[in-house]
Amino acid sequence: MAGKNGEFVIETIALTKIFPDWWGRAKVIAVEDLNLKIHRNEIYGFLGPNGSGKTTTIKMLLNLLHPTRGKALVLGGEGRDPKITERIGYLPEESYLYRYLTARETLDFYGRLFNLPPRVRKSRIDTLLEMVGLTGMANRQVGTFSKGMARRIGLAQALINDPDLLILDEPTSGMDPIGTRQIKDLLIHLGKRGKTILLCSHLLADVEDVCDRIGILYGGKMQVEGPVRELLQQSDKRQIITNAISDAALHKIEAIVAAEQSECQVSSPMNRLEDLFVRVVTDAQQRQQRTSGAISTTAIGGFLAEEAEAEDILQRLAASKPDTDFRKPEFVELSPVQTTPSPTHIKSDLLDQLSHPPTVPTTESSAQTSRPAELPPQSLDEVRQNVLDALIDRSKKGNADTHPTRRSETPGDQNHA
Amino acid sequence: MRRIWAVASNTIAQAIRLKSAGIVIVLLFVLLPMMGLTVVGDQTLKGKLQTFSSYGLSLTSILLCLLTIVISCYSLTSDLKYKQIFLVTTKPIRRFELLFGKFLGVVVLDAILLTLFSAIILGLTWSLPWWVKAPEGQQQQADREFFTARAVLVPTTNEKAIEEEVKRRYDQLRKEDQIPEDMTRERVLSEIRSQELFRAKTCEPGRAKLWTFEQVRVKNPNDMIFIRYKFRISNDPLESQVLSTWEIGDTRPLESGQNPGTPIFPVQRMDATQTELEFSVPSSCVAADGFLGILFFNDLQNNSKTIILDDLKVMYRTGSFEGNFLRVAAMILVRLVFLAALGVSVSTWLSFPVAVLICLVAYASGMINGFILESLKSLSLTLDILYRLTIRPILWFLPKFDEQFNPTAYLVEAKSLGWLFLAQAWGITAFIKSGILLVFGMWVFHNREISKTTSG
Repeated sequence: MAGKNGEFVIETIALTKIFPDWWGRAKVIAVEDLNLKIHRNEIYGFLGPNGSGKTTTIKMLLNLLHPTRGKALVLGGEGRDPKITERIGYLPEESYLYRYLTARETLDFYGRLFNLPPRVRKSRIDTLLEMVGLTGMANRQVGTFSKGMARRIGLAQALINDPDLLILDEPTSGMDPIGTRQIKDLLIHLGKRGKTILLCSHLLADVEDVCDRIGILYGGKMQVEGPVRELLQQSDKRQIITNAISDAALHKIEAIVAAEQSECQVSSPMNRLEDLFVRVVTDAQQRQQRTSGAISTTAIGGFLAEEAEAEDILQRLAASKPDTDFRKPEFVELSPVQTTPSPTHIKSDLLDQLSHPPTVPTTESSAQTSRPAELPPQSLDEVRQNVLDALIDRSKKGNADTHPTRRSETPGDQNHA
Repeated sequence: MRRIWAVASNTIAQAIRLKSAGIVIVLLFVLLPMMGLTVVGDQTLKGKLQTFSSYGLSLTSILLCLLTIVISCYSLTSDLKYKQIFLVTTKPIRRFELLFGKFLGVVVLDAILLTLFSAIILGLTWSLPWWVKAPEGQQQQADREFFTARAVLVPTTNEKAIEEEVKRRYDQLRKEDQIPEDMTRERVLSEIRSQELFRAKTCEPGRAKLWTFEQVRVKNPNDMIFIRYKFRISNDPLESQVLSTWEIGDTRPLESGQNPGTPIFPVQRMDATQTELEFSVPSSCVAADGFLGILFFNDLQNNSKTIILDDLKVMYRTGSFEGNFLRVAAMILVRLVFLAALGVSVSTWLSFPVAVLICLVAYASGMINGFILESLKSLSLTLDILYRLTIRPILWFLPKFDEQFNPTAYLVEAKSLGWLFLAQAWGITAFIKSGILLVFGMWVFHNREISKTTSG
């Protein structure tokens, strides 16, 4: 599954690409001495501004460009080897589809390139079309699709072979927020099912939500690389999130903080625009309003989940033990639908609210750090003491008990204090 | 093979959506029936059939050749330009398979279109006698001289005697010191050889000329033997008439004063010059061993000038019109295969307009290959080694679409296109030359970078 030494799915060794001018002189150094290592079952965010060398690196991995120096290994071999490419799914920065083919014909063509038997091909095409919400447009020519719809078909073709490695260059570009959310959910699902994903995107929020590890490229050189949590965490600050507590309680907290020679800011959090958008569109879908666009769905291809159950069991077992390996985060119990509700889950949330109206806490409040933890009912003094204790305790622990931000709570769903 | 076929079928799907393909298909659908209805020829049924089949097949061949050039050059260059190639080459398909798939797609489409339009031409040719309602005599002539496939034999030439005569004359010129200083030995010999060959087909006034044919294998003794020729008269206006007298049969015993081995058929005709002419005699004139003699008299009482007999041929039926038509269509496919290979090959490293230009030049040179070879022949005498190392390989590689490789000539003259010759054309042009082109293209495509630009 991984590299020659069984360790890496993608490995570059001093990878360099220089574009020469007409005279053969070095004109542009697109990538310089890049040593990229991506582990199995890792979602890696490959970031950088335009012209930083991300796409060039991907093209060298896939043998679309030849390295000037260095080596690019994918799944332990070269990107031109069919035995390697049959395990890769690739979505380039634009969809680059044959405009005259219909959505079904497009997937069929790529399925045939993978030598899939007709029955398997048909089944996968149906599943993928449903998964990307284009079942109703299966027989429409891709040339008539919007950019977002073309991206969906592009993603579907990248998944037709049930790849071990997915290389996605701007997968959500041109997609509406629901599509973006679905892609993110899908990537998380795929990650859970053992896929390795190299994700190239300018949408940093997407990368933050999805990736285990990121690397930021600038001028063809890797500037920063590491787990998302480690890179983003402000270890010199603390955040406390509570329900709507009284002003008196707030003053007390401020007093405690002041006693610690520090300052605190209090504000009511705002919902994210993405959540509002999803809710509005879901309402429209519930009213069965007609549309010629893509239909939202959260279905995932059965063929992509063939190994899911077994892997889930393994991951649950792994998660039950202490694990400091950043490549195996505790994401199993927290599914993405819990964190960023997609339309169908919003539906179930609404139903839940109708049957169990939310209760407003009076004398009780629950305090949360960035990781949810339930607390027993306590008095305000006890709460204050506990919060204080927790702050002191966590500051002592440092990063020892940190968890990956990936697949964690959506801040917009909670109150910040 | 499945992957190759996937690419091939996609190439066909891409090609039939091209406007140029639509134009070619519509044009042929409209023009072929129109030609069938309006064709005139020389006012005879045979003339109409000859004209229609010739124009119809030529038009089909030209348009399909142009379409092949466009499709074969467009398919890969378009994938490269619009970057669909990114998604294809990153799938488990080798680049040579991809290129071969493109080639196969173009060839399969060519075969389908050629079959379709050949069937239309064949159908119209069959139904033309019914539309025209020609007299019985013309119907019979059409059956005899058009709806058939005939073997063609040219006179046996005594090469050894000619070469001896060439050498004798050269030695004499040298002895007399009459060889021009600026001419090489090869050039002088070539000049004398041409003169001797010309002399072999001329008949001076008051003289007779005998042409002999061997291996005349008539299948049915009731069939006719066709004598085809063209007259020229030295220093004579074009429209003049020639009275000719012929005797046809096994003339060998006559030389020793014995009775002829077969009936001798006398023929007397008044013919125009500079025109392809044809008459027939019963096949009983052919000797059992396949020998046939044709004796021509230039009667001094009727003609006072030297008569030159160009392109004298003996023809006899060896197969059916339909079988010949099939082979003619297969010969057209040879050129389409070559152009498809050339188009796909050059589009691996050239842009679409340049690739099309190269293919058009190759196509045009193929259509005048004989002329090019003839005009460059003189270089072989002056630049011997350079010619052999540079120009000759290029000339060999040029496609040959003219002369005996011109398929329509076979139908017009009802000449049988032999299976062996067809196999040779397929072997050399469609397999060896096209194969070399494809292998070269595959090598280039294998080593080139698919993407030249970078966006991030």
